[in-house]
Amino acid sequence: MDAYVNFIEYFLPPTRLTNEMINHEHPEWSADKISSKTGIYSRPISGKNEFASDMGIKAAEKLFDRSIIKPDNIDFLLYCTQSPDFFLPTTACILQNRLNLPNYSGALDYNLGCSGYVYGLSLAKGLIMGQQSDNMLLITSETYSKFIHPSDKGNKTLFGDGSAATVVSSKPIGDLKAKIRDFAFYTDGGGFDRLIVKNGGIKYRYDQGKDEVDENGSFLKNDSYLFMDGKAIFEFSNMIVPSLLDRALMKNNIKKSEIDLFIFHQANFFMMNTIRKRCEIPEEKFFIFIKNCGNTVSSTIPIALKEAFNQGRIMPGMKIVLAGFGVGLSAAVGVLEIC
Amino acid sequence: MDSINKFIEKFRGQYIDSDTFKMQPGSEFRQIDSWDSLTGMAVLVMIKSEYGVDISVEKFRDLKTVKDVYDYVKSEKGI
Repeated sequence: MDAYVNFIEYFLPPTRLTNEMINHEHPEWSADKISSKTGIYSRPISGKNEFASDMGIKAAEKLFDRSIIKPDNIDFLLYCTQSPDFFLPTTACILQNRLNLPNYSGALDYNLGCSGYVYGLSLAKGLIMGQQSDNMLLITSETYSKFIHPSDKGNKTLFGDGSAATVVSSKPIGDLKAKIRDFAFYTDGGGFDRLIVKNGGIKYRYDQGKDEVDENGSFLKNDSYLFMDGKAIFEFSNMIVPSLLDRALMKNNIKKSEIDLFIFHQANFFMMNTIRKRCEIPEEKFFIFIKNCGNTVSSTIPIALKEAFNQGRIMPGMKIVLAGFGVGLSAAVGVLEIC
Repeated sequence: MDSINKFIEKFRGQYIDSDTFKMQPGSEFRQIDSWDSLTGMAVLVMIKSEYGVDISVEKFRDLKTVKDVYDYVKSEKGI
């Protein structure tokens, strides 16, 4: 028994935040400088009343529309988000209902960010190989724009909203036919507060954040909004990913030179390029798709994987590495093999 | 410990346009056009992961040339 990634579709909300718009609000950052450092030209932003659940539905509906898979074929839903509709119930139950998935289906949420898609594939593989499911729907969806403070130009520049829907099955029946091989994981909860929305969870539910500024009056943070210690995340990713990649390759008994394509979490161009060099991956094997998406957190990898497929970069027999890393701190690396 | 030339190669590799310029031991690395705080972060992480030396931001500010950084890494490693 094996598990296969068969179909992927994604959704990006049509409203865009462009570099010119950021430059207009923060004149000290030129549009060209933003694009040369981040590789990003515009970011999709969800509507005021459009939530991660709504975007997840749109990606899944697109998948049902464009593939042979219909809601009736699904027997399990995994929903990866850090923007649930409610504390309870699990958003996946709401999605089951809104997508008309069979009542005899499993449905659960899990809370992970940039490592979430790779984790989702490993969970899907486990459920399929344990014969608990035949066709799983994995949805990743995030609206970080709703967590970002209006004065936080750094995070505004990096993150975009988006969702992706993936079907993982016990048989290679799809466009991709990517056999899911083995994974390696890394967790360091010691860095939990390096990328965090502190207030609003059960621990600081009613705390009101205050704007903290530096000596020049520039915005630093507000505990009710997204905080990211960019240096800490950069350091974590650069220190951990190269060795985690080696570990994953060893588990799969594959040499780095045998990998045809590397699809890493699309954090931003600068960070990806530094990690690529540190992992000694040639540029032509390193797929980048970030220009008009930005960092969509758990959806960057499925979006890039789908685009690589659309661009004809994925062929039968190829071996592909997926690597996600970030908030947690958490990282996961896995290998796909195209049938 | 790497030779200074090897060190310079690794240092230069952190710039976004590393293929477009040369670096000497006496080069003042902050004077290179593409230098910015992101490059600085990349250099510090490279030194930590390649040589196991953690340079504080304050200490790094005092170092002007690539050779200054090389010598500091060497001294921290007790070489």
